[in-house]
Amino acid sequence: MTPALLAPAALGLLVLLAGPLVAHLARRRPTDDRPYGAMLLLLRLAELQRRRQRVQDLPLLILRLIALLCVVLAVTGPELRYPGDARSAASGGPVVFLLDNSLSMDLRAGGVGDETLFSAARAALEQRILALPEGTPAAVVSFGGAAAPLGPGLTSDHGALIAALGGVRQGYGGTDLVGGLRVGRRLLEGRGGTLVVLTDEAGPVAVDAARGELDLLARQEVGLEPVLFESSTPGNLSIAEAEYGDGLEGGTVRLLLVNHGAAAAEVPLVVSLPGGTEITTFVEVPAGGTAEERVTVPRSNEGGVGIARLSDPLLPADDTFAFHLPRVGASRVLVVDGDPGMTAAASEVYFLERALAPWGPSGAARGGVLPEITTPSGIAALDPDVHRVVFMANVSDPAPLLGALAPFVQAGGGLVISLGSNVRAEDYNAGLAGLLPARLTAPVALGGDDRGAPTALPDTSLPLFKPFSRGCRSSFGAARWRRAFGVELDGAGATVLLSTEAGAPLLIERKVGRGRVLLFTSTLDLDWGDLCLQAAFMPLVQRLVGQLGGESGGAGDRLVARVGEPLSIPVGASAEEVSVTGPQGMVAAQRAGEGLRFTPDRPGAYAVELPGAPPLAWVAVNTDPVESDLRRGPGLLAVAAEVAPEAFLVRLELWGPLLWLALAALLGQAALSAWMSRRPTQSEDSDALAA
Amino acid sequence: MADPQSLPWDPEVVERIAALSLRARRTVSGLRLGVHASARVSANVEFADYKEYSQGDLIRDLDWRVAARSDRLVVRRHRAEEELGCLIVLDASADLLTGGGAAWPRAARGRPPLDGNKWGYAVVLAACLAWAMVRRGEPVGLLMLGGEGVPWPYLPLRGGDAHLSRIFAVLAATRPAGRASLGAELRTLGARVRPRTLVALISDLMEEPAEWGPSMRALGHRHVDLRALHVYDEAEWAFRVEGPARYRSPEGGAALPADPADVAPAIGAVVAGYLAEVRGHVHAAQGRHLLAPSSGDMAALLARVLRGAE
Repeated sequence: MTPALLAPAALGLLVLLAGPLVAHLARRRPTDDRPYGAMLLLLRLAELQRRRQRVQDLPLLILRLIALLCVVLAVTGPELRYPGDARSAASGGPVVFLLDNSLSMDLRAGGVGDETLFSAARAALEQRILALPEGTPAAVVSFGGAAAPLGPGLTSDHGALIAALGGVRQGYGGTDLVGGLRVGRRLLEGRGGTLVVLTDEAGPVAVDAARGELDLLARQEVGLEPVLFESSTPGNLSIAEAEYGDGLEGGTVRLLLVNHGAAAAEVPLVVSLPGGTEITTFVEVPAGGTAEERVTVPRSNEGGVGIARLSDPLLPADDTFAFHLPRVGASRVLVVDGDPGMTAAASEVYFLERALAPWGPSGAARGGVLPEITTPSGIAALDPDVHRVVFMANVSDPAPLLGALAPFVQAGGGLVISLGSNVRAEDYNAGLAGLLPARLTAPVALGGDDRGAPTALPDTSLPLFKPFSRGCRSSFGAARWRRAFGVELDGAGATVLLSTEAGAPLLIERKVGRGRVLLFTSTLDLDWGDLCLQAAFMPLVQRLVGQLGGESGGAGDRLVARVGEPLSIPVGASAEEVSVTGPQGMVAAQRAGEGLRFTPDRPGAYAVELPGAPPLAWVAVNTDPVESDLRRGPGLLAVAAEVAPEAFLVRLELWGPLLWLALAALLGQAALSAWMSRRPTQSEDSDALAA
Repeated sequence: MADPQSLPWDPEVVERIAALSLRARRTVSGLRLGVHASARVSANVEFADYKEYSQGDLIRDLDWRVAARSDRLVVRRHRAEEELGCLIVLDASADLLTGGGAAWPRAARGRPPLDGNKWGYAVVLAACLAWAMVRRGEPVGLLMLGGEGVPWPYLPLRGGDAHLSRIFAVLAATRPAGRASLGAELRTLGARVRPRTLVALISDLMEEPAEWGPSMRALGHRHVDLRALHVYDEAEWAFRVEGPARYRSPEGGAALPADPADVAPAIGAVVAGYLAEVRGHVHAAQGRHLLAPSSGDMAALLARVLRGAE
C-alpha cells in the first residue's frame, strides 16, 4: 500500500466497498426450513429457471471471454502484416502511371457487351490524372507488347497527358510488366515518386518475372500502387494449337481449344483456308479443360496460312489462330516434249517426268506435281487456271507456241525452256522474242575433254537454291556440261542463276509480266550434260516448279511468330520491292542488309512478297497463349512484399485496438447484465391451476 | 404396524372412527345411490334368451310354461353377473401432511384434523367412498401406500358393516409418513384385482410421473376401472407462502431456498405442464383423472367418482 491510500479521499472511497457487502448480505440465502408438500413442482421450476439462466448467461459469458481474449492478445503484442506500400504516405513526388494494354485487358469487365478492362483502366487513369495536384510531374507508360512511354518524360501538363492517353489502343501483345516497371523507374530518375500500375495481373508468370525490377524499386525508394481491374465474369476461350497433318481427303487440321472459364461452352469454329474455303463446325469445350477438333481439308487447296476463328464475345482478341497449310493437291505442269528420244536415256521428258512426279501418278494426286506430257501441237491444252508451269524441252519451232505462252507468262505462269539439238538459236530469238531471258547464239563445247565443264556451286542466298544450303549443294559440282548454247545477256532483268565454273551461263531467269521465264542453255537429258543423273536434279526441278508458282504458298519460307516479336526475314540483296502484307494490309517493314525487319502487331497471316511473284515467306502470327490464361497469379504487391518486405509489407500493431475492443466488451456485458436484471420475469399461464 | 387389538382402546382413534362414520353417512346420504343399478347378485337375475334343452342343462332351468304350451323343452338362459367391487388405494405418504397452511410435520406424534388439509380430505374421501359402496352392496377393499401406525395395510374386497368398520379403523389410525412408492405399489396391484374392478387411487401424485406412469399403464391393460383422485392444496400449487425460506419435502430430500416473489409468478406454467403429464399417463391407462382440492366440495366429487365422470 502506498501512503497515498491513507489520504482522507482514499479512505472515503473505501466506504464504497461497503456497497457490494451490503448487497451481498441483503441477498443472503434464507436459513428457515419449511415443509412443502409439492416439492416436485418446486424442483421442476428450479430446473426450468436454471435452464433459462444458462441461456441468458451465455451472451454475458461470450462478452467476458471476448474481453479476456482481447486483453491476452494485446499483451502478446500482435501485429497485422499485409502487402502494401509502407512508404506511400511519405513518398509523394512524381507519379508514373503504367497502363496495361495487353491482350488480356480486352476482357469484358461485366460480361458480354460491357466495356473492356482496358477501357475501364483508361477511364480510371484519366480520373487519376485529373485528381493529381497541379504541377505534379507525371507520365504514362503502356506495357502491352513492348513497354513504351507516351511522351519523352515526366510532364506537369496533365491535359497533354490525357490527350496522349487517347492514342493508346488495346493491343494483342503480352504483358511486358518488367519493361513497364523499368521504363517507369527510369522516368523517375531516382527521385522517388510512385508507380501506379493499372493492370489485371492476369497470367501465372508476368508478375513473378518482375521480382528484379521490384527490388530495384524498393532500393530507389519508389512507391508502388497496383490498381487491379477484374471481370465479374472471368472466362475465356482460345485456340491453343492448329496444325495441318495427314488425314482423309486432303488431310486434316487438328485444332486444340482451351476453355479458361468456369462454365462449359459450345462455340462455333470457322477454319478459313487459303483460297477462301471456309469450314464451320461447333465445338463443346468443358469448363477449365480442352477440346480437340479435326477439320478435313479438301482434296485440292492452295497453300498458305489458314486462319481458325472461334466466337468468344468475352475476349475476342485471342479468338484467331494462324497455321501453315501446304498446297494440297497436284500442281499441274505442262511438259511440251520436242525431242521424244528413241530410248529412255535419250528422252528429256523421261527424266523430267520422274523428277516432277517421283511418286508416280498416284502420288501426284496426293500432293506435289502432276505432269502432263504433250507435243508442241498440244499447247492448245494450256489453261492458265489449271497449269502453273510449262516446260519446253528441246522444241524445234517455238513460234507456234508463243501465242499461248506469252499471255500465260504475263498472267503469272512460269516457263522453263531447255534446249538441245533440235533448237536453232535464230528460231528461238525470233519466235520467243519477249520471253527469252537472253538471246541465244550458237552452241559451244564446254570443257577441254569429253567429261565437260563442271558446274559452279550455286549461290544459296538465291531463293531458288536456298534449300540446298542444308545439303546437296555439292552435287551440283558433280554435274558436267559438254555443250551449251551461248547467250547474249542484254541486262534487261535477266539473272544468271547457275553457270559452269568457267562462267558459261547455264540457267538464266527473267521476269515477264507477272510470271517468270527460266532458260536452261543446255539439255535436261544426257545429250549435253549429266545433271539429270545428279542427286540435285530432282529437288532442283521441284524447286523450280515451286518458285514459278507451281506450288503456291509452298515455296516460300514458313515462319511462326507471336504478336509483338520483331521478325527478320532474309530476302536477298536484290529484292528491292519486297513488301509485307498482314491481316490489315501493308505492314511497315525496314530493310536491314539482306533481310527485312517488321513487327506484327496483330494475329493473322503475313506474307513477304515481291511484286508479281509468289510470296517469299509466309508468317503465321498468333497471340501469346499466356495472355489467354486469365487466371490470376500472385499479386504484384504480394510479390513485392516477398522481394522487399521492408518497403512493401505494412505492419499494423493491434494491441491498441484490442484493448479498446476489450473495454467495449466489458461495457457491453455490463449493460446487458443490467438490462437482464431489470427485465420482468415472465408470467406464463398463471391460470394453469384453474384450467 | 400397530397392534390391531389395541385399536379400540386408543381414544383418539375411536374418536376419529366416529367422526369418519358420521361424516361419511352425512356426505353419502345426500347422494342418490340409485343412479347406477346395483351389481349385487340376487334372485332377480337378468333374462337373456331361450335355447333348446340339451343334455347337461339343469332341469330347474326348464321353462315349464313353454313346455306345457308348445310341447317343447326350452331352457331359460340368464346373463352372467359377478361382483365388481371397489378397491380404494390411499396414498399415506408424508407429503399429505401439508396443506391448509399448517405445519403438521412438526406435530410429530399427533394426527392431522379431518378438515383443511390434504390428509384429512383424503381420509374422509376414502371413508365416504367405502360407505357408499357398502351401502350399494358392493364389496370394497383398502390398500394403504406408505404411512405409519397402519393396522392392516391391505384389506381385500368384502362387504358388510364389520368390514366397513375395519376400513374406518385403518383410516383413523394411520398417520402419513414416508414415501408412497407409487410405481412399485401400482405394479404389484395388478395381481390383486380382477378385471373391471373399480380402483380409486387417492393420492397427491407428488412423485415423478415418469416413475409411476408405466405401472399405471400396465394396470390399465388389465381392464381395471381406474379413477385417479388427485388431492392437492391450492395454496401449495400457487406457492402462496410467507416470505423466502428453505423448503423441504416431508418425505425427505434436500432443501431448496425459494422466494415466493420469484416462484409464485412462474409456478403456474410448471403446474400446467405437470398436470398435462399426469393426465397423459392416466388416460393412457384408460382411467379418469379427477382433481380433488383439499378445500373442495366432497359430495360433488364423490358423485363424479361414482358416475365415472371426469
